[in-house]
Amino acid sequence: MKTNKKTTPKVSKVNIKATKTTSRNANLKPTPVRIFITGESPMVEQYAELCAAHGYEAHISWNEKPAQKPEFKSDSIKISNIIPANTSLAIELTNIDLLAKKKNIKRFDETLADTAPILSSSITITATEQSTWILGKHRLVGIAVLPTLIQKPLIEVAPTIYSPKETLEVTKRFFQSIGKEIEIVQDRIGMVLPRMLCRIINEAAFAITEDVASPQDIDTALKLGVNFPLGPIEWAEQIGLKQVYAVLTALHTDLQEERYRVAPLLKQMAITRG
Amino acid sequence: MFKQLGIVGTGTMGIGIAQLAVLSKIDVQLYDVNDTLLRRSTVRINANLRKMVNLGKISQEEVQASMERIRTRTSLPDLGHCDFIIESANEDIRVKKDIFKHLDANTKSTAILASNTSSLSITSIGAHTRNPERIAGVHFFNPIETSVLVEVVKGYKTNNETIEKIIAFVNLLGKTPIIVKDTPGFIANRVSQPLFGEALRLLGENVADVEQIDHIVKIIGGIPAGPFESMDQIGIDTAFAEAQSLFEQSNGEPRLRPHPILKQMVESGWLGKKTNKGFFNYEETNAK
Repeated sequence: MKTNKKTTPKVSKVNIKATKTTSRNANLKPTPVRIFITGESPMVEQYAELCAAHGYEAHISWNEKPAQKPEFKSDSIKISNIIPANTSLAIELTNIDLLAKKKNIKRFDETLADTAPILSSSITITATEQSTWILGKHRLVGIAVLPTLIQKPLIEVAPTIYSPKETLEVTKRFFQSIGKEIEIVQDRIGMVLPRMLCRIINEAAFAITEDVASPQDIDTALKLGVNFPLGPIEWAEQIGLKQVYAVLTALHTDLQEERYRVAPLLKQMAITRG
Repeated sequence: MFKQLGIVGTGTMGIGIAQLAVLSKIDVQLYDVNDTLLRRSTVRINANLRKMVNLGKISQEEVQASMERIRTRTSLPDLGHCDFIIESANEDIRVKKDIFKHLDANTKSTAILASNTSSLSITSIGAHTRNPERIAGVHFFNPIETSVLVEVVKGYKTNNETIEKIIAFVNLLGKTPIIVKDTPGFIANRVSQPLFGEALRLLGENVADVEQIDHIVKIIGGIPAGPFESMDQIGIDTAFAEAQSLFEQSNGEPRLRPHPILKQMVESGWLGKKTNKGFFNYEETNAK
């Protein structure tokens, strides 16, 4: 890796690959790399399981604890609000409560070593805007995170104007280590797939309101007619209507276009049952 | 159940419906404006059925029996004795209205008349007929052999008996019918439209390029074909015409406004696979 410019702090020393037996002492069990994950349920749990399955020690907390305490397959997942020493990387997964997100990001920046990157969901607020909250702007990178999309072998990553190559390289290595390739896109609200998916769900909500077809038939139509793996209603249930509502509201506010106006039915369902 | 099915128009969809019907042992009266078109369509149906024989899906005897169920016609009044007629002509409201006016005047009042339109209003198509209650939409999807969905469109004046009979017919063909209201784009095309609309906007705003957007849609979204690949496949001119039609029929609904990129691609003559260039370049692939 090239030496970075003087003005840009380094993050290249983050030992993301430490879980792999690449050292000379290959027989020794490596110490798991410690990461901290916080934000909204079920994304926190889903990411914790994924990271733990790939050898990480995941310390997790939520903005609001889930109603039912989750049961994890791995004992490498530890529920605690304390960011442990030697945390190499932090993941912030809040799309709805942006005040809580700001608090989380600021706490990461104040607590973590300067070399630890912060990967933060950036579909309802850009990564660039998030980086203005902290001093260590260089270490924050945006990622597209919605429930269910976490299991996919690809993730959208949005660097900010402050992200040096080193931060991106560490981000790439981290995602590769949990089985994901990255696609670097511009740092915009909704990024790529969340923007498309939420608009499809919104259009389905308008169609239900207009009584064009039943919700079940809409799912059938999209799966059989245009080869979607899930119908928009099924997708909405898996992602959560509050998440969909948050993305659409952020797009509407950001782009000021009528096309992102939330269907009244979707809004009502999001605020009453989520 | 219907004994005689009339089909108006021998494009890909008309031929496909005829083929499905004869394989379901329904007699078909196939109409087009001249014998050349009709001959070409029976040759195509025959060839398609023979392919099915080679794949072990049907027997040689079924090919012969199926072909014997087809009668070709060049005069619309010759479809007068049909119980059910499906119009599958060009997506032009004037052409369709004219056909339905003729069918309305020359068929028994109990016959069901349906349009395979993918985007035009059934209520509008049936507006000037004597019996609009027997007019509905029956929207098959391309490729018709493998696409299971059929949207059965209820116009403002379509009665339930018409819808029930069409549903029974669609089930007989082995397809899955869903009932939809007569609104622009019906349901599958309308709800999937943001996939294409947002893809074009993301491209226009330089959020990602065509390869990236298609890759993300396929890998993260799990949709088998990316939006740009799909538009290149169906033809960018067709995609533009469909988007424009949806927008106009919705009286300018902002959510359905086509992106200028589509128009510019059409004006550049980059229409997708058929011109070797669309959002992707196919020249090298074809040269191989």
